[in-house]
Amino acid sequence: MVQFRLPMLPAAGEVPWSAVVNDEEVSLSIESNAILLDVLRDQAGSLGTKRGCDMGTCGCCSVLIDGVPRLSCLTLAQEGSGCSITTVEGLADGHHLHPIQQTFTECGGSQCGFCTPGFLVVISALLEDNPTPDDAEIKAAIEGNLCRCTGYQQIVDSVRAASNILTSGEAIEDSTAAKSDPDPGYVAD
Amino acid sequence: MSEDKDKVEGYRQQSGKLPFPRPGSGGSRGTSDLRDEEAIAGIKGLGEHKHDDLVTGSAVGKPTALVDGRWKVTGQAQYGDDVRLPGELIGRIVRSKHHYARVLSIDVSAALELPGVVAVATGRDASGSFGVLPVTKDEHAMAQEKVRHVGDPVACVAAIDESTAREAVRLIEVEYEELEALHDMRGGLEDSDEPIHDRGQYHIGSSNVQKRVFQEFGDIKGMADNAVASHSSSWKFAGANHGFTEPHAVVANWDPSGRLTLYTPQQVPHYVHRALADVLDVPMHQINVHRTFVGGGFGGKSDPFPHEMCAAILSRKTGRPVRINFDREEVFWVNRGRHPSRIDMNLHADSEGRLCGIETDALIDGGAFASFGHVTTYYNGVLHTAPYEIGAFHYTGARVWTNKPASGAMRGHGAVNSRCAFEVGMDGIAEQLRVDPITLRLANLLPPHSATITGFRVTSIGMRECLERVREASGWDEKFRKLPYGHGIGVGCGFFISGSGLPIHWEPNKFPHATVHLKVDMDGGVTVHTGAAEIGQGSDTVVAQSVAEVLGLPLDMIRIRSRETDTAPVDLGSYSSRVTFMNANAAISAAMEIRQELLDAAAEMTEAPNDRLVIGDRRIYMRDDPKIGVSYLEALHKAQEDKGALVSSGAYRTPPMGRVHKGAGAGIAPAYSFSAYVAEVKVDVETGQTKVLKVWAAHDCGKALNPLSVKGQIIGSCHMGLGQVLSEEMKYGRNGHLINPDLLDYKIPTIHEMPEVVPIIVESNDSEGPFGAKEAGEGPLLPILPAVCNAVYDAIGIRTSELPITPDRVHRMIEDRCKKEEMDPLDLDSPVLRHSELQATLEARASEHAERDFLRASDPDLPDYNNGALFGFNPEIPADEQDERWVVSVTPDSDYMESPRLAGSAWKHAERRHGGGS
Ligand code: FES
Ligand code: FES
Repeated sequence: MVQFRLPMLPAAGEVPWSAVVNDEEVSLSIESNAILLDVLRDQAGSLGTKRGCDMGTCGCCSVLIDGVPRLSCLTLAQEGSGCSITTVEGLADGHHLHPIQQTFTECGGSQCGFCTPGFLVVISALLEDNPTPDDAEIKAAIEGNLCRCTGYQQIVDSVRAASNILTSGEAIEDSTAAKSDPDPGYVAD
Repeated sequence: MSEDKDKVEGYRQQSGKLPFPRPGSGGSRGTSDLRDEEAIAGIKGLGEHKHDDLVTGSAVGKPTALVDGRWKVTGQAQYGDDVRLPGELIGRIVRSKHHYARVLSIDVSAALELPGVVAVATGRDASGSFGVLPVTKDEHAMAQEKVRHVGDPVACVAAIDESTAREAVRLIEVEYEELEALHDMRGGLEDSDEPIHDRGQYHIGSSNVQKRVFQEFGDIKGMADNAVASHSSSWKFAGANHGFTEPHAVVANWDPSGRLTLYTPQQVPHYVHRALADVLDVPMHQINVHRTFVGGGFGGKSDPFPHEMCAAILSRKTGRPVRINFDREEVFWVNRGRHPSRIDMNLHADSEGRLCGIETDALIDGGAFASFGHVTTYYNGVLHTAPYEIGAFHYTGARVWTNKPASGAMRGHGAVNSRCAFEVGMDGIAEQLRVDPITLRLANLLPPHSATITGFRVTSIGMRECLERVREASGWDEKFRKLPYGHGIGVGCGFFISGSGLPIHWEPNKFPHATVHLKVDMDGGVTVHTGAAEIGQGSDTVVAQSVAEVLGLPLDMIRIRSRETDTAPVDLGSYSSRVTFMNANAAISAAMEIRQELLDAAAEMTEAPNDRLVIGDRRIYMRDDPKIGVSYLEALHKAQEDKGALVSSGAYRTPPMGRVHKGAGAGIAPAYSFSAYVAEVKVDVETGQTKVLKVWAAHDCGKALNPLSVKGQIIGSCHMGLGQVLSEEMKYGRNGHLINPDLLDYKIPTIHEMPEVVPIIVESNDSEGPFGAKEAGEGPLLPILPAVCNAVYDAIGIRTSELPITPDRVHRMIEDRCKKEEMDPLDLDSPVLRHSELQATLEARASEHAERDFLRASDPDLPDYNNGALFGFNPEIPADEQDERWVVSVTPDSDYMESPRLAGSAWKHAERRHGGGS
């Protein structure tokens, strides 16, 4: 049996590593041959970045390195050293979701949700570059991400809806805002 | 002391005056919306339904974001591998590198010496067997005596980190004696010196037949004589894997009180719970199964698994939490995907275009373990006895063990492959009869509230509407047999159970299938305890919606607790498309109890008679004078005066159904879903590449409780089915080795392969479904395979009988046709259709039946309708009770055994207890 998970060679030793992960300075000591995905998940606290295959085939581990989508399972952690890394945890603004996060929930872009972090970071980069992508551009952006649940259609719907939010400047609600009052009064119309 | 002084004087709140706000009040939307009666009527749908009075217009029928969606989009959702407990160890599994071998010895000493290795376990540490079905417990945590496929667990290790654990796995020396492996499923039918399993007295000869089924219903002898058209096919289906994006992962932790908590992405926590108790030899109450978020299941996370046992064993040995997470490759070794199958099918139609016979012979490759195989073997037959009325049904099925990763349940369990063969056969029959294939189907449908030839009780049927709507939407009449060469359109239908009527484990306990508990405390929020496993299909959401609907509350006031067996009532889990039907029904009955208490309280407060009150948006008021009423919270607090929090429990059990022959329980369900798809394809005749352009997908889910999810399920099913028809295949090399256990070579469609899907929701308002709903998770997968195959035929005149139709296979078929017709590929013609006279007859019958069906759908009190009426029998009595030519038989007679077909030959062995085998 072949074991695909990298690294296949023993580490030469530990090296210091620092990067800006989701706007926060992170300094760690990592194994010299560590894979970025492992560092993010096991050391930098980004369990939102998912491991689906370890070999660049599913896109679940996508992150942004200096704004560019990368597969963290195929990236040596040292390549990310000194960079700005964005994972799914870095997309929301406090309790205000990123428009694409908001529309993923509303339009069915996420079912089981395991592929979702990968799609979200890739799409956030797309929308950053191009807030009004056409279908071909959307498809090209997410062609490296597999989703087994949605059949992609509602993901594309979500991108379009997010694009509408971005262009209309519509505000995203604070998720901590007060929910329904169980004791409402009656008003006649 | 005077009496006066004895009297206790205390503080008394003056009645009617609260100087401070009512506890629990506050929040947004301080006023209630009036009931929107028009919308409510829309939700109720056509006809009457027992839940009509419960409709408040709050939640059901509205496209609804998943209640757990925000966890998923923020990365906060914890899947199996995201559970990190302090002091955790990493577990890895030592797997067999042989297809079939006896384990002679295991030397773990070197591994144990490696610094950082904390424990090693082997089969000796857990000899108890388990399996998802109680009749076929043929799995162990680790090999006992033999390994049965490459990847079969032999031992496991726990170490301080992953690289140490991997290194330890390498250091474990296993000595094997290789045995002759069996790869070809046909070989499984023969006697073997070393059958892969030994079922003792129930073993079938000394073969590798794990399960065999024989069924004959109807006029078996007459079917060939009555036929004017017959279509025969011989299919080969490759095995398919679920391909969920989350690899299996598990965390086990024995806490200081000596209880085990197992964190696992499971579809069926309850079966794991049972299996753990068996294997670990502790009572169930000592175990808490905690279902994490599940990164896709599709049937592939519904068996109890060896790695779950291993984690528990290692954690017990080490006293520390143990986490095991799989490489993608291991997911393929565990598999439980769609069975590789060989299906022979003959369909017969008589001069009136009636289906006078189906003969199916299905040999399915179970791989190394039984898994759900018992059921799969039945489903390959019985699930294509509808939606059409048929004159005879012959089925022989056999499932054999081979030395491959085990097959199991996968979306559309057992029904997908034979349905594909069947619906392609229908296309062939239509062609021979020179009629339109949609018309042929419309003229042969069973009506609502009828019984199939095998005695399944079918309630609502939206099949006719599905067919009519896809015909219309796709522009079928302008396209079928009229598109240019290389461009085609095809239709396929589906029929699937909405929840298995026969619970796997329940006899003789007769527990309900699903139970839901509600708790409403003074804060007004409703906590729902259910064991239904949310796996991304939206079960938490649908249960929340059902409760919200009955109580007139917004979804933000409903909280679902569905994760832990400690708090959730027992539920059978997410398989057989049972959750919406069974759990929402249980949730509704639990909510009805609370509703009654609220109504009683409101009646007392308003002095209005109970039956004149209605529940609206967070308010209970008089139907004809909405001003008179109380808020939900007021009623709740009144209702709580006696005993505090309101709690209720609702349960669902299926009604008695079906007939009594052996195997009659397989395939019965409280309701069935129906679907019809039309696919349009382009085939590049030079490369053999098939591109699906567009799919019109109509599915009868009874009532779409959450239309957003129903559409998502339809599109997602299309995606998965398209994978199986176009590209997905577990490929075994010449030496039987699985050569593509990864997502690069196992080809799941990407967005570029995905056509536009037009989901069409058909609502037949099922009389027993929650608010009329039926399943939408599996049935929608079935029609896409035959629809594409039939479209390919329309495009290039070639009928495939092997899946997937990869470009090389299509190319080869085109070449074969060119050779036979001595033509150049570009000069070939696509098939044409000139209607025969039968077309008009069928059209007339279809419109007659449309009227019949409309009546039966709206009036449940009409007399019984049994399959056979189309052939002239009294519909009120099963045809086999009216005519002795119509048989019911579940064992082959000597006539049949003179020349059995492939799977049928499984019957040449006798069970050991009947003197067979060695
Ligand atoms: S885990 Fe990186 S692409 Fe699959
Ligand atoms: S939502 Fe499950 S894989 Fe995409």
